[in-house]
Amino acid sequence: MLRKFYALFVVSILIFGCKSGGEQNTGDDFKVPEAVVNEGVLEISEEVMQDIVQNIASPVEMAALVKSLDAGFSSKYLAPTENVDDLTTSYQQAFHLGIYAADLGYLNIYNKNNSVIEYITAIKTLADGIRVGQFFDFSTLKRLTQNSQNLDSLMYTSVHSFNQMDKYLRSDNRSNLSTAMVAGIWIEGLYLATQVAKASPHPQLSERIGEQKIIMSDLMLILGNYKSDKNFAKLFDAFNQLKAEFNNVTITIEKGEPEMIEEDGMLVIVQNDVSIVNITPEQLTSIIKKTEEIRNMLISI
Amino acid sequence: MKKFLKLIYLSIFLISTEAFAQDNVELVAQCAASAGDVTYLKDFVVKLDAGVPGGNPPSAKFSMVLSKSTQYRFSICTAPDSDGEAILQLFDMNVLQGSTYISATGKEFPFFDFKCQKTGVYHVFISFKEGKPGEAVGILSFVKKL
Repeated sequence: MLRKFYALFVVSILIFGCKSGGEQNTGDDFKVPEAVVNEGVLEISEEVMQDIVQNIASPVEMAALVKSLDAGFSSKYLAPTENVDDLTTSYQQAFHLGIYAADLGYLNIYNKNNSVIEYITAIKTLADGIRVGQFFDFSTLKRLTQNSQNLDSLMYTSVHSFNQMDKYLRSDNRSNLSTAMVAGIWIEGLYLATQVAKASPHPQLSERIGEQKIIMSDLMLILGNYKSDKNFAKLFDAFNQLKAEFNNVTITIEKGEPEMIEEDGMLVIVQNDVSIVNITPEQLTSIIKKTEEIRNMLISI
Repeated sequence: MKKFLKLIYLSIFLISTEAFAQDNVELVAQCAASAGDVTYLKDFVVKLDAGVPGGNPPSAKFSMVLSKSTQYRFSICTAPDSDGEAILQLFDMNVLQGSTYISATGKEFPFFDFKCQKTGVYHVFISFKEGKPGEAVGILSFVKKL
């Protein structure tokens, strides 16, 4: 009886051990870099953090909005990738990973496959740096960029890779790096929106920028958790300056009941609660200016 | 002897967790593809135990930010070997906005679209009919700007 248990145990350890080894295949050095593991007591629980952080910033949605407004593509909105090897701390790598994720979303939405390779290469380097490279399917992405018909697959693979990395970081007790990544995605998305608004103002874009006030509150709550780390303290202070620019933006809600309709056998829910954003041209100008200043400061090494 | 049993249970648990994670990757990809001509944004992977008789069915909660003037699609795919059939519900605070199962009519939908008019935090709940145990994947996709 005991011998059977031994055998089962050894087999199961072997199977699991092989699987784990495969997933960890991201480089030769498996030492935990500094600031990778959460330190200190969190002000809000990990559970609440996970509740807040989902979809706080999407690498796709802001770019999709910009494209839907017929704004032309501009490579000058993208963050440069040439200094990626100089990003050596886990914080820098995670934050820039978020920045490049947003840029990759912008490139994908506009089907700019020629530039995608540069960004997926940078992302792969950073992902390996914080030991989540196993979730970034570089070879598939590289192959997909070679055919402009693969936009859907390219988009799915890249967004899914980021979701996997984010989930893994949080489950691996590294929510701080997940937060840095999300903060990078968010500020780059806001930078893109504000730059487009600067070049070609549009009411829908102004409204979307103004309503970032709501998202910023949640983001600040999360960032505040890690203020004891000097990198996060710097990020928190920078975002706090930006938050001040949103103080006078007002958002009101008109209440209404949701409607359920069936269209061609498909269920469609129309929300009748409506949020109305009041943002003046002066407020918008200040937000554009401050976003540019902060984003450029944060991406400089 | 007890220690050996514990180790065996633990290793079996770890193996099944790994296998479930691998299956999920495929189920997420299939579910995202079945959502139609939309852009995948997020997935919600769920594995729940059976509920207590007479109690509320267990559910998993996910919170997310949705943006105004955007049409989203919420899809649900029950894993092939799942006992229970999954239901996805969307809430704004405590107000139900939409569900893949309309209890009044008994109608089921593999997905529903949500025309969002208010930026904010929303909550997705995934549960299984009659509180059965089950595995499922929910998908949030971007349809279009309104």
